Amino acid sequence: MSVYHLNGPLTDEDVKKLKLGDTVYISGECFTCRSRLQKYIFDEKHTLPFSTEGRNILIHNGPIIVKENGKWKLMSFMPTSSIRFEKWGAKSVDEWNLKMIVGKTTMGASTMAMMKEKKCVHVSPRSVSPNLWIDSIEVQDVHLYDELGRIEAAWFFKVKDLGPFIVDIDAEGNNYFDKLDGEIAERKQKALKDLGIEEDFEFTKLY
Amino acid sequence: MIKTEIYEEALFQTIKRGATEISDDVKEAFEKAIERETDVEAKKGLKATLESMELSAKRENPLCVDTGWPIFYFKVGNNCKLEGGFVELENAARRAVARATEKGYLRATMKHPLTGYDPGNNIGMNIPDFTYQFVDGDFIEISYAAKGGGSECFGGTRHRIVAFADGIKGIEKFVIESFVASARAGAVCPPSVLGIGIGGTANVAANLAKEAACLRTVGSKHPDPMFAKIEEDLYKALNSLGIGILGSGGATSVLAVNVEYAYTHIAGIACATSTNCMVARRASSRIDADGTVSKMKSPNWFGDR
Repeated sequence: MSVYHLNGPLTDEDVKKLKLGDTVYISGECFTCRSRLQKYIFDEKHTLPFSTEGRNILIHNGPIIVKENGKWKLMSFMPTSSIRFEKWGAKSVDEWNLKMIVGKTTMGASTMAMMKEKKCVHVSPRSVSPNLWIDSIEVQDVHLYDELGRIEAAWFFKVKDLGPFIVDIDAEGNNYFDKLDGEIAERKQKALKDLGIEEDFEFTKLY
Repeated sequence: MIKTEIYEEALFQTIKRGATEISDDVKEAFEKAIERETDVEAKKGLKATLESMELSAKRENPLCVDTGWPIFYFKVGNNCKLEGGFVELENAARRAVARATEKGYLRATMKHPLTGYDPGNNIGMNIPDFTYQFVDGDFIEISYAAKGGGSECFGGTRHRIVAFADGIKGIEKFVIESFVASARAGAVCPPSVLGIGIGGTANVAANLAKEAACLRTVGSKHPDPMFAKIEEDLYKALNSLGIGILGSGGATSVLAVNVEYAYTHIAGIACATSTNCMVARRASSRIDADGTVSKMKSPNWFGDR
């Protein structure tokens, strides 16, 4: 497994070299997104009020940001579960030309197919460590604050060596967790057997 | 008579502590997990999480960005007298939640379920949630638990009625299948504190599961050997799966498995799970009749466990 320090905006070459399980740290300009933003743009047909051209890293996150002495202060940050946003995942990758999504819980088949087509990767943390991340993040600006609220607005972050994150969807549409699923399923059969629960056990159907 | 300003400040401090400080028992469970972890990357993840949690206490910021559903448990002495009564206790709890949100100890996470309206202070219909337990005495014990969105939304919290014909095997299979599905790709933020409620109506089982996940001391055992065995067997079984921290592989998938039970109907066994995320946030305080406020190490909801 390799370790990469990447600088945004990311290119196809930057992400194509990443393999499942590789570790990445990212620097550059990113923006945050939760479902309210995607619903606002894709379902309610508003125009994204900023360009993603120099900012093609999306972070699924609803940060805690307070205003202190007239300046934004980031209190906490942790990538959130991407699978919740699967409905708009492919559209986001396609229309916003994303090269990297930082999230958690990976994404589903339709987003993965679009990520393969457009060359985009998904990365996840292996810890819950807001305090090891917030010093790497500078809050630059915010869009749609009044429309979407403090948590679901699109925050602009400038990050420096933010990570480590693990590559869990590569630019070829492969998923780190699919491989793990098989290994866990095998161990689960053994665990059930050890508890005396036979493979052919079936629940009595009550409903 | 315990004055409003005393219990309101105690409520606020308990929320702040729950949001920003890791409990001693959870810390100990993390240290043990780090010691036995064999996967190099998982070990780093556990260490980074513990390091960040310790910094939260110093920096007075949230342990995790998702500060969860605000939930209060009150263990109330039968002769406890509060200024303004229990209606005012709940009002004070709402004010304390709003203040903690304004200070950034809590994220404004609670929204209207249909419109998505964000009141900005975590206060709304039936939120925060209050549960009471009545005992002898003239004190009140306050526990604040923050139930994270990941741990609650991805199938870590569910129920099934198991037939008596299927018994313990049915219960254990249901729990294992549920946990594996919910922990995929780290959805419920493992290693989890898994609460299991057995018996009662479905809501009784669900409440017991939630209390077992949020209020039991991590590392404690059920005093009844039958239930302690289920806890131990499932703890071993789930930690043999290799799910690991945030589902990306590793030796620790659960920090604890806690079972609580109620008698049930001859027709079936309600079985519920409630999964608490690895930060397992909670804090407890006690206020004696003379207004003395003290921090509690553990919620004391289930006595000494």
